[in-house]
Amino acid sequence: MTSARLARISRRTVLRGLGAAVALPWLDAMASRVLSAPAPAKIPNRLAFLYVPNGINMAEWTPKGEGKSFELPYTLQPLAAVKDDLLVLTGLTADKARPHGDGGGDHARALAAFLTGCQPRKTDGADIKAGTSADQVAASRLGHLTRLASLEIGCDRGAMAGNCDSGYSCVYSSTMSWRSATMPLPKEVDPRLVYERLFGNGPDRQRAQRDLRRKSVLDFVRDDAGTLRGKLGAGDQRKLDEYFTAIRDVEQRMARAGQMGEVKKPPMGQPSGIPPAYEEHIRLMCDLLVLAFQADITRVCTFVLANEGSNKPYPFAGVPEGHHDLSHHGNDPKKLAKIREINKFHVKQLAYLVTKLKSVREGDGTLLDHAMVAYGSGNSDGNRHNHDDLPIVVAGKAGGTLATGRHLRYPRETPLNNLWLSLLDRMDASVETLGDATGRLANLQG
Amino acid sequence: MPVRTPAMTTACLALALLLTMGLAPTRAADAPVTPARPGDFAQAGRPFIAKHCLSCHDDRKKKGGLNLAEFKDETAVLKSRKGFEIVLKMVHAGEMPPEGRPRPTLAEIEAFTAGIRGVFERQDQSGVRDPGHVTLRRLNRTEYANTIRDLVGIDFDPAADFPSDDVGYGFDNIGDVLSLSPLLLERYLAAAETIAQRAIALEPIKPALRPTAAIFIRPRLGRGEFSVREITTGEAAYITHKISEEGNYIFRVKGYGEPKDGQVPKLALQLDDKTVRTVEVAAVRGKAASYEVKLALKPGEVKVGVVLLNPSTGDKPRGVSVQRFELEGPLDTYPAVHRKLMACNKSAPPREQAREILTRFATRAFRRPAAADEVERLLQLVDASLGRGERFEAAIQLAMQAVLVSPKFLFRVELDDRPDSPLPHPIDEYALASRLSYFLWSTMPDEELSALAAKNQLTANLPAQVRRMLQDPRSRALVDNFAMQWLQLRPLKTHAPDAKLFPTFDDKLRAAMLRETELFFEAVLREDRSILDLVDADFTFLNARLARHYGIQDTAGNKVGGKVVTPGKFFREEEFVRVKLQDGERGGLLTQASVLTATSNPTRTSPVKRGRWVLEQILGTPPPPPPPNVPPLDNDPKAQLTGSLRQRMEQHRVDPGCANCHAKLDPMGFGFENYDAIGAFRTKDGGFPVDASGTLPDGQTFQGPADLKKLLKAKKDLFGRCLAEKMLTYALGRGVEYYDKPALDAIGTRLDRNDYRFSALVTGIVTSDPFRLRRGKELAK
Repeated sequence: MTSARLARISRRTVLRGLGAAVALPWLDAMASRVLSAPAPAKIPNRLAFLYVPNGINMAEWTPKGEGKSFELPYTLQPLAAVKDDLLVLTGLTADKARPHGDGGGDHARALAAFLTGCQPRKTDGADIKAGTSADQVAASRLGHLTRLASLEIGCDRGAMAGNCDSGYSCVYSSTMSWRSATMPLPKEVDPRLVYERLFGNGPDRQRAQRDLRRKSVLDFVRDDAGTLRGKLGAGDQRKLDEYFTAIRDVEQRMARAGQMGEVKKPPMGQPSGIPPAYEEHIRLMCDLLVLAFQADITRVCTFVLANEGSNKPYPFAGVPEGHHDLSHHGNDPKKLAKIREINKFHVKQLAYLVTKLKSVREGDGTLLDHAMVAYGSGNSDGNRHNHDDLPIVVAGKAGGTLATGRHLRYPRETPLNNLWLSLLDRMDASVETLGDATGRLANLQG
Repeated sequence: MPVRTPAMTTACLALALLLTMGLAPTRAADAPVTPARPGDFAQAGRPFIAKHCLSCHDDRKKKGGLNLAEFKDETAVLKSRKGFEIVLKMVHAGEMPPEGRPRPTLAEIEAFTAGIRGVFERQDQSGVRDPGHVTLRRLNRTEYANTIRDLVGIDFDPAADFPSDDVGYGFDNIGDVLSLSPLLLERYLAAAETIAQRAIALEPIKPALRPTAAIFIRPRLGRGEFSVREITTGEAAYITHKISEEGNYIFRVKGYGEPKDGQVPKLALQLDDKTVRTVEVAAVRGKAASYEVKLALKPGEVKVGVVLLNPSTGDKPRGVSVQRFELEGPLDTYPAVHRKLMACNKSAPPREQAREILTRFATRAFRRPAAADEVERLLQLVDASLGRGERFEAAIQLAMQAVLVSPKFLFRVELDDRPDSPLPHPIDEYALASRLSYFLWSTMPDEELSALAAKNQLTANLPAQVRRMLQDPRSRALVDNFAMQWLQLRPLKTHAPDAKLFPTFDDKLRAAMLRETELFFEAVLREDRSILDLVDADFTFLNARLARHYGIQDTAGNKVGGKVVTPGKFFREEEFVRVKLQDGERGGLLTQASVLTATSNPTRTSPVKRGRWVLEQILGTPPPPPPPNVPPLDNDPKAQLTGSLRQRMEQHRVDPGCANCHAKLDPMGFGFENYDAIGAFRTKDGGFPVDASGTLPDGQTFQGPADLKKLLKAKKDLFGRCLAEKMLTYALGRGVEYYDKPALDAIGTRLDRNDYRFSALVTGIVTSDPFRLRRGKELAK
């Protein structure tokens, strides 16, 4: 099919772009500063979160052995080549994904609580609320340093049918990033649009002119919105506040783009759209993610590989059944075997991303050496809907602050958010606490 | 006890579920209870609470933060009505009192509920009714695209790159859920630029010259030389052309004549066979000349040509030789869209021209008259642009962009024109016009609605406007947006049945399935049929592909291989035609392949999903959510599940933890087991015969899908209520709450009195309090 072929070509072209032509901005800065400034710039760390839905076949996921002497079980085997760059973390819990009296809806809660550590409010629409997500904590502290404060990507659009999970609005099961407790950030699923966002869709000179006009439009509408203030009820005012926040964000982004000069475009065409094959789609998104990190367009990214509760079939991995349907496996060995295949398929894509990051030279190491890719699910066993003993992997050395190549086991009920606090420290985006965190995660540095 | 779940709908639905489905068989076993007087809290409420609740929820323990001892009288109950609805729900669902505590009898539960409900009902009838509040609604993707289409008149999808809108209460137009992210604002800015550039041209259109050589001038000649076309007396020669831009054109004829008897040939230049100019062709062979006329043309097919007027002399026909026709244009003009938007008094100073243009544009964009100071601020934007040396057109583009990114355009702002009124009062008529048009058309109000609103006569004309609007092609939006979401069919677009098991499924079949449902719903809407036809009907719409899938061979509904009594017409491949159905195997939404496929898993049917779909979307009685940990089948070593899917599920259901809910779910699902996971009819499942018979919890039995549909169609009240609730949710853009009950009751009555006609449903909604009124100062607190 034509579109399939085009998509494939465009992905390969992206690959060619990697490593070669995309400048590393801070390295350039270093080079030019050698003459005048004494202190070399430090290579920054990058942070990505990848999410997979419906839990994992944990028996095939959790490594036997701890510390450095652990073996990769079936599901994690695609990561063999990068084993020394991994931390497999066992025993973490997303307590706020549990019902706590709210009844069903573990899928919605699992994704909503994953990066927030907050109990999402059970509502089908009115008063959506979760909490600020870890990526957005980083984005709000580091955003001024890059063109984009953060990047939110995924492969599934927001769900198309109502009541996605037992009385929870579909927002919860399709959103990973929350700018604030009441502001979910939609994800971009079309690689063409991600590319446009990263590299713009016109020459920079035109963009400067366009931004000038945009600025006058934004000034106007801010005042215009101001005239509505005080005439609206509280709920309406909140919607208007969202609008003001969005204006501020866009203005800041434009200002930064102006200061930071031109982004060098990778020598590639813009992707033509969403590739029909799921694996191609994921990989194209991974390529763009690597480009964004490499060119320092952003340092923070969330990537939802499939919406929580997804019933997507995986025939290309030998699983024609729907994922969610299968995940209620009732301990049927045949079903468990198929879930394992879906899990492994996703891990293969993680391996692709990690390998790609490792292939990019940066300073005297690789891009992966300055990255943290956290991968996992807010559900453990899809059948039990339990939210303790979560499947979590972190790839990357975070500038040498993570002693990788180990399997670490934490005491039961250790909050997942403790891990996020530890990762945020390594982004120079420390916060005292986040969601239900009780402290930092021990033993990450070896 | 969590007092967080807001929707009373769930509560009353759970109640309905129990009342209609669960109670009948067990009631006989309960001890008789003296029926309490409905609405008497002292008699029906207090004793029950004291007996079953206060051991945990008293002012000492306050378990889960709930103190029921506080509710000493009706006033207290009415004050916490929302919370009390949840109490009712929990008691009814059997979730409270919790396991291990003495259970109230079903009769006790009924008496308690009826008592409290009576209290509420008295309030609904006497007190101030709450029309509710709709949170400021952002236009969703569809509404944005449609509004731009009607506002600007350009034909492209400006919202294609917008992120998806989130869904709440089953629909993507819910104010609370439609958030505005920075990403979306960026897209709005970009879309506004594209729209302004497409709508307003900086330069006039370059006129196109379309020459037509003699050989192509019609009617074609079979004789003579082809470099000229000879025209004789009375003969016409012409060309036709499709005009896309309205404007002035020049029609030009190049040729020469043969003056005879001192008479110069006279040629009539014609537009659509009417003479617009007569010319004398003085030019002679070797010195051809051009003769032209200016024409004002509108978009569409035009015919331009010539007729020779001179009478023939003797036996020699007079002639004119034409070398070519030319049509040139449009001349010195702008695209029609541009001219419409930029129309103004050209003799006024530029700033006044801009005022006229922008007042009109902002008024339409904001869906109410633009205030003078709003326009003045837009003019400042124009001033600044002109000050930078930009063209007038560019300055207008900029101001239009600002309008299109303004919250007054992007949101449906409904400012209170009587903010000090303590009581509920009507929203203003412009807001009402918008509510109507976005409900029925998913777009901005048209001129008629705006004109009525301007005269304050819309409320008085609601039923007539509903009739007009439903007949308008734009009401197709109600099919695409309301029906497809109500039926949860949007996910069908990405649903992927297993290719090995279902090799006949492909994108064409998928598209045909969706089309059938759209056409069917549209027919009920346009023909103002009974909404009960949606449950079961004797007609549908099929193309050849879908007919094959159904095993139907012609438009009379004859089955492939069956006995034909009255034959119908055969299908043509792509075209959909109306089909009369002969038996209950098909007919109605429930047995359409779209619904049957969307409620299946990729490899098999899911009776549970189908059952749940019927309970939720058709009867409005959703089952409680499944327990988180479904007991593994391998706990029981003897449980070797065999047989058809149904037999295996029934073995599984022996577990008492599952049995209760599945008694409600399964009959609905199993009744449709005659249809496989892509909706094809079958009598066997995996080699085992399909058993599609069953018993509903109320004791009614059925033999198969046709029977089941009849039983469901007879549940008029439940279905009418369910559809009314869904449609009210969609119409309001908010979830339905307990205070909407009187409105829903009234809609139910109206349906019942009007043969359940579609228009009665819609009229009932748009004339209801929640649709027309807003809260006063008192309730807003």
